[in-house]
Amino acid sequence: MSAPLAHPAAALAALRGEVRAASWFAALGEPLTGGELEEAQGYAGALGLGDLDILPARDWADAERHLKSPDWSTAWWDGEDALRRACLAEAEERHTERALWTALTDLTTEAGDLVHGRAATAAARAGGVSAATIHVAAGAAAHAVYQVALARLAGAAALPFETKLRLFAAGRWPLGVVGKTLALF
Amino acid sequence: MTTLIVVKTVEELKSAPEEFREAVSKLVISHAVNELYGAQVFDEPAIAFAPTPYAKWLTCRVAMEEYGHHVRFKQLGVQMGIPEERMVPGTGKRPLSIFEFPLKTWEEFVAIKLLADLAEILQVEDLLHCAFHPLRNLARATMPEERFHAQFGEDFSAELVKTEDGKARLQAAVDAYWPYLPSFFGGSKSRNNEIFRKWNIKQRTNDEMRVDYIKRATEVATKYGLTLPALQQAA
Repeated sequence: MSAPLAHPAAALAALRGEVRAASWFAALGEPLTGGELEEAQGYAGALGLGDLDILPARDWADAERHLKSPDWSTAWWDGEDALRRACLAEAEERHTERALWTALTDLTTEAGDLVHGRAATAAARAGGVSAATIHVAAGAAAHAVYQVALARLAGAAALPFETKLRLFAAGRWPLGVVGKTLALF
Repeated sequence: MTTLIVVKTVEELKSAPEEFREAVSKLVISHAVNELYGAQVFDEPAIAFAPTPYAKWLTCRVAMEEYGHHVRFKQLGVQMGIPEERMVPGTGKRPLSIFEFPLKTWEEFVAIKLLADLAEILQVEDLLHCAFHPLRNLARATMPEERFHAQFGEDFSAELVKTEDGKARLQAAVDAYWPYLPSFFGGSKSRNNEIFRKWNIKQRTNDEMRVDYIKRATEVATKYGLTLPALQQAA
């Protein structure tokens, strides 16, 4: 068993700061920069799904089409979830259940409210975006925060989660894998 | 008979009659525990059953909002001096019976959002004019999210009933869960409810709420071509 970390809430203090400082949804629909393409390719590579093309989503409607595609990759989602469960098991070894659970719930509640507001702002600027899709954006972003929180509490080098969070922090939204493409809004 | 006092702050609660304090504590504990059970038993597991990334992340957000409701009720409880361990599962208050059945399908989750979250809306509605204002304000803050969750149930019901197979699976889920839902509203001769109404903490009797709930649930089910099975006995 690994050595105990600091109290989970304290261990997540830095992440809390990153969440507050991030440019959530600020660059949706903007042309992808070289650095973002590299980051997205790094995310795709870390997922172990082979070579994926990076496909930019033009607008919210385009993003919604990707998110509802019947051809979406279950391997992508299941791979992330297997990593999440491994991190959770390790974090549970390192922290008491109550302290771990409370720290994660408090962080994701704060992060969820923050990213929801940012998603709503971005959607209002674009216009014509449904309340449900704003919830989806907030859910994706808050889920990314939760995954990184678990990885850090586990002391794990969870590259896909860290890379994905950096894309969110840069104002992007990785929409997931459809066929052999990773869609990035 | 209603006793007209208004408690505007947690600080003022300290000098309120003991019966009033106990009554609002019971309600805060009940909401904190049940919101948490709901998130743990239904919302979080439902993410795995959701059919697309859109539905998965939408469910993620709904689960986080339900956890958030627990956090907010717990925060109010802590301010009121209620020990935290009384506001989490497994330490006293029994959960509602519906929480004893682990979620098995997406259709079950949609049925729960359609019908169980409607029950939650009625419970929160009854607190919108509560004489304890911090609880009233919390009810007002959670209400838009509760309404969204019920709308989630409607939106995905509308999707499912587009096919015969989907409609049959959703109807089966409704048949399985509906019998447990009217008992959300407590017993007909509840002493707690009598005290809640005496102090204007809640407005309606359990039976009044149950009758209203069955009416509204029947309307929403009918809207999607679903039927609610007959209840064995009035709860």
